[in-house]
Amino acid sequence: MDHYHLGEFEQLVLLAIAQLRGEAYGTPILEEIERRTGRSVARAAVYITLRRLEEKGFVASWLGEPTPERGGKARRWVKLEPAGAAALREARQVSDRMWDGLDVASLTVR
Amino acid sequence: MTGVPAPPRLGRALLRLVVPAEVRDVADGDLHELYVERRAGRGAAAAAAWYWLEVASFAMRFTLDRATRAFRGLGGLVRRGAIPSALDLRLGARLLARSPGLALVGGLGMAVAVALGAGAHAVVNSYFYPELPLHEGDRVVALGKYDRQRRTEDERLLHDFLVWRQELRSIVDLGAFRTVRRNLVPETGQGEPITLAEMTASGFRVARVAPLLGRPLLDADERPGAPPVVVIGHDVWQSRFAGAASAIGRELRIGLSAHTIVGVMPEGFAFPISHQYWVPLRLDPDVQVARGSGPDLDVFGRLAPGATKQSAQAELSLVAARLAADGPAEFAFHEARIVPYTDVFLNSGDEAEAGPMAAIRYLIGLLLVIVAMNVAVLVYARTVTRTAEIGVRTALGATRGRIVAQLFGEAFVLTGLAALVGLGMVSIGLGLFDRAIAGQLDGRAPFWIRSGLSAGTVLYALALSLLGAAIVGVIPALRATGTQLRVAMGSLGGGGRARLGATWTALIVAQIAITVAVLPPALLKGEQTVRMALQPSGFAAGEYLSTRFIFEPGSGAQADGQPGAQADGQPDGQAGVVPDAERDAAGSARATMTALLERLAAEPGVVGATVSAGPPWAGGAGVIEVEGADMSPHRVTVAVVDTSYFALFGTRVVAGQAFTAAEVALLPGDRPVIVNRAFVTELLGDAAPVGRRLRYHSYDEKVAPWLTIVGVVEDFPARASRPGEGGVRTVYHLEVPGDSPAGLLTIRLRGQPPEAFAPTLRRHATSVDPLLQLSATRPLDGMYRDHTRGGAQLALVITLITGSVLLLSTAGIHALVSFTVNQRRREIGIRSALGAPARRVITSVLARAAKQLALGIGFGLVTAVSLDLLTGGELLGGNGLLLVPVTAAFMLGVGLLAAAGPARRGLRVQPTETLRAE
Repeated sequence: MDHYHLGEFEQLVLLAIAQLRGEAYGTPILEEIERRTGRSVARAAVYITLRRLEEKGFVASWLGEPTPERGGKARRWVKLEPAGAAALREARQVSDRMWDGLDVASLTVR
Repeated sequence: MTGVPAPPRLGRALLRLVVPAEVRDVADGDLHELYVERRAGRGAAAAAAWYWLEVASFAMRFTLDRATRAFRGLGGLVRRGAIPSALDLRLGARLLARSPGLALVGGLGMAVAVALGAGAHAVVNSYFYPELPLHEGDRVVALGKYDRQRRTEDERLLHDFLVWRQELRSIVDLGAFRTVRRNLVPETGQGEPITLAEMTASGFRVARVAPLLGRPLLDADERPGAPPVVVIGHDVWQSRFAGAASAIGRELRIGLSAHTIVGVMPEGFAFPISHQYWVPLRLDPDVQVARGSGPDLDVFGRLAPGATKQSAQAELSLVAARLAADGPAEFAFHEARIVPYTDVFLNSGDEAEAGPMAAIRYLIGLLLVIVAMNVAVLVYARTVTRTAEIGVRTALGATRGRIVAQLFGEAFVLTGLAALVGLGMVSIGLGLFDRAIAGQLDGRAPFWIRSGLSAGTVLYALALSLLGAAIVGVIPALRATGTQLRVAMGSLGGGGRARLGATWTALIVAQIAITVAVLPPALLKGEQTVRMALQPSGFAAGEYLSTRFIFEPGSGAQADGQPGAQADGQPDGQAGVVPDAERDAAGSARATMTALLERLAAEPGVVGATVSAGPPWAGGAGVIEVEGADMSPHRVTVAVVDTSYFALFGTRVVAGQAFTAAEVALLPGDRPVIVNRAFVTELLGDAAPVGRRLRYHSYDEKVAPWLTIVGVVEDFPARASRPGEGGVRTVYHLEVPGDSPAGLLTIRLRGQPPEAFAPTLRRHATSVDPLLQLSATRPLDGMYRDHTRGGAQLALVITLITGSVLLLSTAGIHALVSFTVNQRRREIGIRSALGAPARRVITSVLARAAKQLALGIGFGLVTAVSLDLLTGGELLGGNGLLLVPVTAAFMLGVGLLAAAGPARRGLRVQPTETLRAE
């Protein structure tokens, strides 16, 4: 498979899933991102990204029980797959390497 | 489940519609759950609003996602080979280079087809569906009147215009114009005719273009007695005043009066059609104008804010109906119409014709399908020889789609290149076409015509090339990868056993038939055109200067003034009535011409001058009958000349006499005629021509007077139908210079180039009569070259098309025989090995081609003869008995020649090689 670079939002979604530790589905993922980043996130964007990440094998999903509050529809739970965890780790390493030798406080714009 | 509130039903349906299946239930469930929560906390309305916003966000984002996936999918298709890749195109180019014959023949045929299709598209678009390049140009309209009884446009609109201007509310700035030609007399005294728009000041408001300098025309300029003013165009400002701002306030002498320049319009402005000078259309509000009187006018305006073409038409129809009810019965059939501005000038304004025109735009493109089918035959013949290669590729895992895509790509290289060449042809052709149209329209095309290569035309050509590639590449590919492939795979290495099926055979036969049917008329037309183009002029080139002249209406009187009053004195006044004013004008015109001819004769270097209706190679058409002969009507060419004509051109009188001053004294109806030798040979036989009488054939009871032949001249060489042969039968009539308000003045000069005399000629003409307009002043041989150039261009187009047809059918036969030889290599090898004589082998190879040739020629002959009979022999001009068999024999020869090469290859098949391969 081609080497795949995670996009920023994909990273956020994967990290939110990791943070939720097995309690992840659409709504909590969105809330987790909004809470930690302070950004407003479009719900549809989360679903589109989840679909893409699943197609890439970075996450896996399964259906829960249907409930009346959900109009008889089931929840789709998601969890991180080893490929997703590896991609996150690599993204972190790349980022760290780029930061290496830089001090956040000393960043100036010329 | 009861008691649980549900989100808006429509919103939910929309959500389920836009979200893909695998996410649908989950998204639906999540939003449902959140809706229930929100509704409990914030109320139903807030929850519903939130829900709708979410649905909108889902709709937008998932649609975008779909589009992105589709594009990515396209890339994937290329990677998977379902769409041709760059490699396929490179391979296609290499294959093309390897078969230059196919590239040339197929490419040329496709290029001509693309050129015809895209050219027709461009011309129809720019001439019949133009956009008016003015601010809100689609709201500028023209108003006209159609006479339902006479089925003509009625352009005497002065009375209607005045009423419409007062009453119509749906149209603002209603204006009118007419185009007039006047002499512009500069300080040098050499008058030259210019075209002016006599236009109401509202024209500038309709165009919404501000002047570059000064002011436009104003309503006050239209009043009788207002000082004469003129607004000039950018081109005139540059050429006559070198772009100086001081042009404003200067005077231009137009006709007899001096006009003050009050404004200069910006570059490109030529409203209402292609004008560069604008003077006010003078309308006296106190003069009562009778209906149907006055000059021809074009009326225009802008739709008022809020009005539509339909509402304006409804209002106009109401006004027109009232006018019709009030007026004389002859106006009862007049119908007032509002049409898009540009329609008046090139379209009939009949909406029923718009459909067919739109169809023509695309139907001509279908020509490409026919050509592409032809090229497909050639490509198929080649593709079939590659069946083994295709079989191997399939065996190695290539899908059918992959192979079809590859062959499509290869074909697109050919058709794409052909489209480029075709577009080049279109570009050149459009330039020529525009020049021809501009020539018809006084040197300038209407300002809204932009018929250069537009993005639309290029896209259309691209679409044609894709369609061509689909036919040329995909059809043979589908055939080659179908059942035949399975057969071929069963015998890999054996060269394949594919056959040229019935469809292809029928196509080759049809192709030959079309060639045989098309060639004779094309050859005939081409031969006539080439002959005409090559024909020597028949007069000493470089000795004659000619100029068209026209007596300005109102000659000898003030040119400006009420157009209605002036028009009644025009020669195009009511038929049958010759107003006194015109008689006087004719008298003064004769005096003017006499004075001019005298002055010219006194100039050194002038051998003589003559006045005729047209140049020696042109003339009117007439149908005559000869007294004492069979009295059947005969077509002749009619030329109108003066007494000096034959002497000036050195035309010998072979019997009788030339026109003399004695005949001038007679009334026009009593004057005798002169005929040429061709007339005598063809219509009078051996009988003595002088003294015989002829008259114009009449189709009703009115009988034309007999005219006596007083002389016979030799055929003027430029009138010969063939160099060195007999001419076109011609009747020459005598006219006194100035009798006709327009004509051609030709001066023979010695010792100086004719063009050098032009300023002297203009000076004399202007001093004799400032209203005598001279135009197209140029050496006569240049005029003759222009006359024959059109023929040469037509001949080129005919040659290109006929050549393509012939090439394609020749190539088709060649492909057929090549194909047969390739298919039968093994059989030929075995037969040769068994000692079959060469003649028998070659006969068996050629048999199929000969059969198809014979079939095609047979069909072609029948078609050609039927078409000729249907047109009453016009199509082949009575040469059918000669032309058709000659074409058939030619086609047979060409066909056998095309077959000979591959057949010889068949003879060279080495039995040992083919048997080893076996």
